[in-house]
Amino acid sequence: MPVPVYPSGTVRVLLGTEHVSEATRAAVQSRLDAPAAYVPQFLAPDTYALLEAVAARLFPQPDRPTQPIPLAPAVDQRLTEGRADGWRYDALPPDREAYRLGLGGIQEIAQALFQADFMALNPGQQDAVLQALADGHPPGPAWETLAAGRFFEELLAELTETYYAHPLAQEEIGYVGMADLPSWTKIGLNEKDDREVS
Amino acid sequence: MPDEEVLEEGVLSPVQPEIQDPLLRALLADEPAPAPLDIPAEQPQAIPAEADEVDCVVIGLGAGGAPLLARLAMAGLKVVALEAGPWHNPEQDFATDEKAQDFLFWNDERLAAGSDPLAMGKNNSGTGVGGSTLHYTAYTPRPLPDDLHVKRDFGQGEDWPVSYEELEPYYEEVEQFLGISGPTPYPWGPARRKGYALPPLPLNSAAQLMVRGAEKLGIRTSPAANAALSARYYQEGIGWREACTNRGFCQAGCSNGAKASMDVTFIPLAVQHGANIRPNSFVTEIERDARGYVTGVVYIQNGEQKRQCCRHLFLCGGSVETPRLLLLNELALTSGQVGRNLMAHPGVQVWGTFEDMVRPNKGIPGGLISQDTHRPKDADFIGGYLLQSIGVMPVTFAGQVARGRKLWGQPLRDYMRQYNHIAGINILGDCLPHADNFMELAEEKDARGLPKPRLHFTAQENEQRMNAHAEKTMRAIWEAAGATDIWAFQRYAHVIGTARMGKSGDDAVVDANGRAFDVPNLYISDNSTFPSALSVNPALTIMALSLRTADKFLESLK
Repeated sequence: MPVPVYPSGTVRVLLGTEHVSEATRAAVQSRLDAPAAYVPQFLAPDTYALLEAVAARLFPQPDRPTQPIPLAPAVDQRLTEGRADGWRYDALPPDREAYRLGLGGIQEIAQALFQADFMALNPGQQDAVLQALADGHPPGPAWETLAAGRFFEELLAELTETYYAHPLAQEEIGYVGMADLPSWTKIGLNEKDDREVS
Repeated sequence: MPDEEVLEEGVLSPVQPEIQDPLLRALLADEPAPAPLDIPAEQPQAIPAEADEVDCVVIGLGAGGAPLLARLAMAGLKVVALEAGPWHNPEQDFATDEKAQDFLFWNDERLAAGSDPLAMGKNNSGTGVGGSTLHYTAYTPRPLPDDLHVKRDFGQGEDWPVSYEELEPYYEEVEQFLGISGPTPYPWGPARRKGYALPPLPLNSAAQLMVRGAEKLGIRTSPAANAALSARYYQEGIGWREACTNRGFCQAGCSNGAKASMDVTFIPLAVQHGANIRPNSFVTEIERDARGYVTGVVYIQNGEQKRQCCRHLFLCGGSVETPRLLLLNELALTSGQVGRNLMAHPGVQVWGTFEDMVRPNKGIPGGLISQDTHRPKDADFIGGYLLQSIGVMPVTFAGQVARGRKLWGQPLRDYMRQYNHIAGINILGDCLPHADNFMELAEEKDARGLPKPRLHFTAQENEQRMNAHAEKTMRAIWEAAGATDIWAFQRYAHVIGTARMGKSGDDAVVDANGRAFDVPNLYISDNSTFPSALSVNPALTIMALSLRTADKFLESLK
């Protein structure tokens, strides 16, 4: 099956057209314009660097060596502001505590498996650490109180939703739903409106 | 990392906790107690009362509150509506962007417990003038008559104290008023006096694929009933609403008024007849007199505490906030059923990848329906379910892939590249009440200082069997339609039943008219009163019951 290939800048081109509403443009543009550098406000610098390293394995972006889609800032900003998304697994402590404990726990897994800091491991070893977490029964005292499977699910879901909210990630999967004005007229199988790429 | 104590989670402008009592403060600080000052003690500040008592206060402006608000206003009563969330201008404010639309959900944290914890937030909640209808999918099938009689037919669950025949005129009224688009005649259930207001919306790719697969298996399908306009529609008292533009963003808010959310239908009607809408008004207290009658409510609007006196109160906050208010205020608790009987619809989804170009973000998400599985012949469970084709927005889908498939790293990115070739089917199935499934107030407090709701939900054997049957059916449909890489996402939607209606105050909170057994001038109108979950989406029935409750109330005044 053909994977959609967008000419570079497709979303940026669409954003300049009347197919995008003002509210939509503001939302999408703000993510494109987000500064590359981010100073963490909630997480300590070391913890934030660890979160970035974890995010880089959960969403490897070898295709964007200089400007990866930023994922860790959204987490730090949310924790800073104390925002929630309406629910939490009762099995997990409040988000700030869960992130602090969970990131510490990832270091414990790295130590248990490779006797080294997560940041010092090669990508394959880092993936092994994360797989142990994903499997739900990783080594380390943190995981005696923190539900590993649920923590991993929440971490992965938050990073995933942040990644695919970014217009360049949406471009990557062939989504141009933000350009929905005045309407979609071709909505059936194998149909496309002119502004959709083939 | 800053000290955990610096910021209280969920509090944007934290203040230092201050010990109010000077003696205690002195004791804790190990200082000599201050000499009592010779000034009159400051009196607690009285909450300013609204000048007038009104006939009715309605709490919550979703599918439960808005229809009855319009009805009461049209009857000439003086009505005030208190809605926790803001009043939006969808055309201007609603972006075609999932993250930007997060403000539509009730984002205060609820705790999800049990073996099948219920995802809340965008899955199951709403706030704002219009409530959850601001982001409902607009899928509005009627229940079939036997949905209301699960106990009669199977010996388990509960029967409704209201019959389908009593509800039917209200279904018809809501369908015509909202301008529901759907097939006429409708293939399942009893013949109807009137067809749908408009022809069905066009089938999107997922719907076409489901037709393809279901036909091969001999499963009947039909374009579904959706509360979104397939053509311009005129409503008395409101004016013209424009047709659906196939944005596919129903679950993130409709920006052109085509979807019949309450803010473009019953609420403008209510306003036209003099209803007073107060957005950003979060109710904290329900006040009573010595007889136990409600006399008014205390609420916080834009940081200011206010009181509104009323002769009658209509509680329409949904299945979490309604029981939370009752529990916090120790109101209508005699039956012991407040918070109990929590049900959630089995909503397992099956996704597949197709050679065809699908582009699942376009068109009404739930384009197609089948109710052939309403009472399956080979069922090893009670009740049944409906089948629905589903399109999906990208961030929602990606989140489900992460949670449900547990893909991460390059495999997740690779799978998501198939987005334009993905289509889904899901079910909406009945659920039986169970003692293990309930809502309670947790010790943990939210940003307002109120206990967080904790929702316990564990799918029992009946739900598990239904899910297994449904997953098998949907996998077969997708295989027949030519899908590959088929996978299932276990999911439950809608919280139901936490203040149920019944015939007696011994085992129900409200009667068939929505009136609380314990409190004669308190009515509840939302899905917390459903005695059983029904095998269809709840919004249409919530609205129908809301109008019926209003009529029964108005009759009682005569």
